[in-house]
Amino acid sequence: MANRSMFLRILWKLLGASRGRLALALVALTSGAAVCSALLNVNLDAEHKLTQEFRTLGANVVIAPPSGGSDAAVVDAGVMDRIAGVGAPQIVAAAPYLYIAATSGTQPVILAGTWFDQVTKMNSWWKIDGSWIASRDSHLQCLVGSSAARHLGLAPGSPIELRSGDRTVSLKVTGIVTTGGAEDSQIFTDLGVAQDLAGLSGRVSLVQLSVSGTPAEIDAVTKRLANALPGIEVRPVRQITAAEGSILGRIKGLIFWTIALILTLSMLGVLASMAALAMERSRDVGLMKALGGSVSRIMRLFLAEAGTLGIIGGTIGFLIGIALARWMGGRVFGVAISPRPVVFPLTVALTVAVALIGALPLRLLGNVRPAEILRGE
Amino acid sequence: MFFRIVSDSFARKPRRKILTAAALALGMAVATATLEVSLDVGDRLAREFRSLGANLLVTPASDTLPLEIGGVDYRPVDAGAYLPEDNLGKLKTIFWRNNIVGFAPFLDVPVAINSSTSREDPREEMIGTWYSHSVDVPDGSKFVTGVSATNPYWHVDGNWFSDDSQEAVAGAGLAQRLGLHPGSTITVGAGDRTQTLTISGIVSTGGREDNAILAPLEVAQNLAGRPGKYRTLLVSALTKPADTFSQRDPATMTPAEYDRWYCSPYISSISHQMQEELPGVEVRAIRQVAEGEGRILTRVGGLMWLVTIAALFAAALAVGATSATTVIERRSEIGLMKALGASYRAVAAFFVAEQLLLALVGGVVGYALGVVLARGLGLEIFGIAPDPRWILFPIVLFLAAVVALAGSLVPLGRASRVDPAPVLRGE
Repeated sequence: MANRSMFLRILWKLLGASRGRLALALVALTSGAAVCSALLNVNLDAEHKLTQEFRTLGANVVIAPPSGGSDAAVVDAGVMDRIAGVGAPQIVAAAPYLYIAATSGTQPVILAGTWFDQVTKMNSWWKIDGSWIASRDSHLQCLVGSSAARHLGLAPGSPIELRSGDRTVSLKVTGIVTTGGAEDSQIFTDLGVAQDLAGLSGRVSLVQLSVSGTPAEIDAVTKRLANALPGIEVRPVRQITAAEGSILGRIKGLIFWTIALILTLSMLGVLASMAALAMERSRDVGLMKALGGSVSRIMRLFLAEAGTLGIIGGTIGFLIGIALARWMGGRVFGVAISPRPVVFPLTVALTVAVALIGALPLRLLGNVRPAEILRGE
Repeated sequence: MFFRIVSDSFARKPRRKILTAAALALGMAVATATLEVSLDVGDRLAREFRSLGANLLVTPASDTLPLEIGGVDYRPVDAGAYLPEDNLGKLKTIFWRNNIVGFAPFLDVPVAINSSTSREDPREEMIGTWYSHSVDVPDGSKFVTGVSATNPYWHVDGNWFSDDSQEAVAGAGLAQRLGLHPGSTITVGAGDRTQTLTISGIVSTGGREDNAILAPLEVAQNLAGRPGKYRTLLVSALTKPADTFSQRDPATMTPAEYDRWYCSPYISSISHQMQEELPGVEVRAIRQVAEGEGRILTRVGGLMWLVTIAALFAAALAVGATSATTVIERRSEIGLMKALGASYRAVAAFFVAEQLLLALVGGVVGYALGVVLARGLGLEIFGIAPDPRWILFPIVLFLAAVVALAGSLVPLGRASRVDPAPVLRGE
């Protein structure tokens, strides 16, 4: 017992004695740990953040009735409830579409009925002149594709009358859509308006889904949807899912390798400064040996010192690292990176290990001859 | 005298100098590698993104309004405008010709297959395009392109058609419906023209192609009675992510700004240059691909720069720690110099010279190591090694000098305060 309290007292004195030198080592340990925890956090979170970014590419899964020629086959709109019933949180948005042929004056045009709140979420790349329609109950408004607007001479605010068969509907144009795709030649209204106009109430032509996650997660969601929707085709848009997978793999590799390199480097830096600190201790070792301290006891003392430094440095570094990761997340992704609890033990363990390895040159002090040291040689 | 002291210091205790130089070299190697990779990452990823498909769409300028549902155009064949295919080679003569990765013209024809429906009311869709077609470029060279370049992820069971054959590829949905498999022959008819084709493979894309039949462009042109024509052209081009400058209207730019815009591979300037070469077309950016790509490239670029800064910081840490050690270890030397009458400035100059010399050695070795490291990283991640950039060499040398000096700043300050007497006494 007395032995232990003596050990602790010597340790305390050691830590208090050469403050300047210790502070230097602590700074090295702390900055090493900060870089380490920030980068580990970024590495763990990057994949998640990037899969969310990929959703700016829009729909990557399409649900449609089984292919049967070019007939405008339609399915029951109840399919939307069943998609929601699958309860997959990976589904970012699900937009039903009903495409019908209509005329405006004498010009035939394709009318797409959809849910605007879902379209807004899914298609952030749409460029709108005028304003979006944000809600699902805007029965009197529509968005017009840019080519269609040019052919029909429409601008935001213009009225438009659409006719299909013997039914007509009058709408107001709120915005002109530019996408560079087929949407440019279509007119978008609320799903209910299109259903009424075509006399196809409760029907949709297809559903577009935006599913976030790794390629494996997207596959799993697709399978679950296919099971929940018998008789309906659920197909991933191969071009987007495959490209997503390969690009994500590259970026992950990139981040992993650069971070591994930097971690090694910063740990080497910490190692060097710890080794320097250990060499400084040769005089203390000489004195202790002269007073009859055993080599193993002296070793334990200095390892305890290094370990304490490692824990303090690791903890402070971890906290700084979290702040750093938040800042990096804000800069790069516009969203702070959430701290991962697992990084804490990892950072502290790594720092302590490096501090202890840095103290290893002390082993050489085992054959220190006290007399020489104390004489000042 | 000054040089003798410096050279003496290197000759006498080489081990310590080697340690600092090694730390510098290692730090600079990592810095070089991350810099190389982050400079290269934009180009590499932009190329990866081309697997998402084309990012530019070319249509006739004087077209009627397309009636498209799910990619299928319901206009009659005789409505709307067509474009000639013989001037497509000119696309490879624009300023950014090397950024044009590939292009594929398309001509859709409604057809009847195996008389399943009457020829007067054709219900199936035939998409005529190139798979891997050799185009004559006006400068005398050849450019091989087609959907193999614009849509590399289209998956085919069997083989693609060859562009000059009587073959076709059936979409997966269509093949299932009609019981087609590689090797079967079909008769397609449009109007009073018919054609017998051999199915060479089954394609699955998740898009409209799944319900259509893909055939060589020439076959579709003959069936439609439109030799040498196409209706839409998809172009896949390597572009720079859009920024505020690229979104400005070129008409409002000053001549200098216009030149800068014209000579940057923005999607808007590339489409402008394409429009100059191909008369009567409208070139539109496919925003779904262009926007998503731009956003992700900007994100990854930003991430890489932050990681590079972290690498530089780690390098500074490593170098600082080792050089601090060497200065501390040499307190007695400093004490002796001071006792012999050296001024603070002389001592400082001596150490600065020593650190700069170390930085030179460490920087050169580090740059060489870093180039090797970057090659390894490039091969591991992208399968292609980045070309070493010589511009990085002076930058890395400069960084090495900064890091070496910054690392010895604190210990130097301490050394200047060394009191010679106790140090020389050995305390």
